[in-house]
Amino acid sequence: MLAVACSTGTPAIAAAQTFSYRGFVDLRALVFPQDSPHDDTNFVGDMLARGEAFYRPTSWAQFAFGLDARANSDDQVDTSFQVDLRDRLALRPSVSVRRLSATFTRGPLTLDAGKQFIRWGKTDVITPTDRFAPKDFLYVIDGEFLPVTGVRTVLQWGANTIDVPFVPRFTPDRTPLLDQRWTLLPADVTGVKVMAAAVNLPSDSQAGVRWSHTGSYEYSLSFFDGLDYRPNLRIAVQPKVPSIEIAKEYPHIRSYGADGAVPTRWFTIKGEAAYVTSSTPHTDEYVLYVVQLERQTGEWVLVGGYAGEVVTVSRGQVAFAPDRGLARALVGRASYTIDTNRRVAFESAVRQNGRGVYVNAEYSHARGQHWRATVNAAVIGGSGDDFLGRYRQNSYGALVLRYSF
Amino acid sequence: MSSRVPQMLIGGVGLGAPIMVVAFAAALSGTVLDAAPPLAADEAEQIVQEAQRRTDARSQRYEGVLQVADSKGKIADKRWTLERLGSHGDSRVVLRFTAPAEVKGVALLVVNHPDRASDQWMWTPALERDRRIALQDRSTRFFGTDFSFEDLEERDVHQYTYSLLGEDVVDQAACWKVQSVPRQGKSSQYSRSVLWLRKDNYAFARIENYVKDQVVRRLNYTDLQQVQGIWTATKLEMHDLRRDSRTRLVLDKLQYNEPMKEEDFTLQAIRRQ
Repeated sequence: MLAVACSTGTPAIAAAQTFSYRGFVDLRALVFPQDSPHDDTNFVGDMLARGEAFYRPTSWAQFAFGLDARANSDDQVDTSFQVDLRDRLALRPSVSVRRLSATFTRGPLTLDAGKQFIRWGKTDVITPTDRFAPKDFLYVIDGEFLPVTGVRTVLQWGANTIDVPFVPRFTPDRTPLLDQRWTLLPADVTGVKVMAAAVNLPSDSQAGVRWSHTGSYEYSLSFFDGLDYRPNLRIAVQPKVPSIEIAKEYPHIRSYGADGAVPTRWFTIKGEAAYVTSSTPHTDEYVLYVVQLERQTGEWVLVGGYAGEVVTVSRGQVAFAPDRGLARALVGRASYTIDTNRRVAFESAVRQNGRGVYVNAEYSHARGQHWRATVNAAVIGGSGDDFLGRYRQNSYGALVLRYSF
Repeated sequence: MSSRVPQMLIGGVGLGAPIMVVAFAAALSGTVLDAAPPLAADEAEQIVQEAQRRTDARSQRYEGVLQVADSKGKIADKRWTLERLGSHGDSRVVLRFTAPAEVKGVALLVVNHPDRASDQWMWTPALERDRRIALQDRSTRFFGTDFSFEDLEERDVHQYTYSLLGEDVVDQAACWKVQSVPRQGKSSQYSRSVLWLRKDNYAFARIENYVKDQVVRRLNYTDLQQVQGIWTATKLEMHDLRRDSRTRLVLDKLQYNEPMKEEDFTLQAIRRQ
């Protein structure tokens, strides 16, 4: 953000009026050394240009606008070149509105209306209470958050905050494309036509409330009522064709959550848990929780923890649920700042039964005021019956060149 | 004379405000810098309190230009804007990066308390989340600069004891040399600090921060200017002696006592871009 105060007018006005912008252009090259059973694409090129602008005409109002433009060599981007406001396409839109919102503040009250990002929770690897934050999961393990359209009211008094989002229009996760390597099909369906059923997105709204307290300790309680943006999958086999039709259904859920952070002498302990119930048939009820330790020391930032799940009611759910898929795992991240321009990072997730493992190493180097190059290698291993292990043929290397402005 | 004395403001006397309060920290076990025994503690505390009184301001705003030079002399530029409401150990500070481009919008909220360590949160736009900077993490460098998170906070004079070590000359200016040691229970990465305060205007000229008996960070204040009646060092250089790297901070468009609203110094406010 360029918080550049206008230099005209009285000092008070000068302080209030600001216009700022930021953005970047990413060029990304990915290499998948192995073919997957139904995708033999080994090289993927990707481009993302993002610009965001913020205008604050008075001290109590701000307007935000952001746009993404994309291109991709592997048919992951819709080429209709229409400006997309809804984020409901199976493909990534070539041009989409990332942010279009107005923010008004009056005393302790803040109101955000429009397309925006709403994040809940404290933990980093999995955030069980983060119920207004759908993701683009075309690459499952490297998802980016999608904005939601709604109204968010925040009341802050002293060390307490009440956060009440209302999202009238549902934004689902963008799930892996059926003909690409991040969609997992049983080995015996090779040669079978796989089709996506027509999607009828529900019209239900979503709402929630979160009370949080920031003092020596930080803690929050939250409640969510709405749709799960991660779908149940209904698979219909048509042996005559032969084909498989996969339909997505978004269950109605309620989530009762809590999160907290407790600084201790050596670590900050963070915890987050959500109890998810549902009235939709074939939808599990469960508790998802994360406990993590966090520490910065010298040039290191260390985060490690455990993500767990307890299924309280099992209804034979078949779902696309990366958060639950990554549960029952030890997760960790370590990053080291070499100097002001260079850093390395390591990330891993290991299932507690040892049947799935993901390791990622990254080196990043900035040059001048605008350029940064990042190389990373991700190795995925394990067995075919594990959420992580099933992606064992999707290990990859990537080079990302970013120009920020 | 006010009972609240800021710790060391980057800018100290003269800067009038906390910005980088280079900690006066120090553990009780710290030894005296010089062989000479400490002189009157009351006199030392009065000097620091007077330094604060002369920099008292309801608010402060500036644009900072940072140059971070590593041991090989490679320089990286960063910029931030800083706004502070309140003064001297009872204030709120919002610092926002404006350059380089990849960190635009990253913001830090510091809530300074007179009787305990500050609360700090960082907002990272790319994640759309804020993160509390825990007390035990504040000895780490702030965004690749040679300032630590602790150096960004401002503390109350009563959290430290002072002793006058003597007199010295810094940049041809006669100075008092004062040692500050954190009182028992005070959490700090530094075991003690030595402050040089100019005799002519009570502005800070230098601060050295110690871990045990070793100087680990040295902050020099130069280019003193009188801004709205407050003597302010407009160039500061922090030298991290362990890394042998330096960060120079130049203050631009400095203003005091501008009208500011309390609601612009909250977690909700740093979320706004």
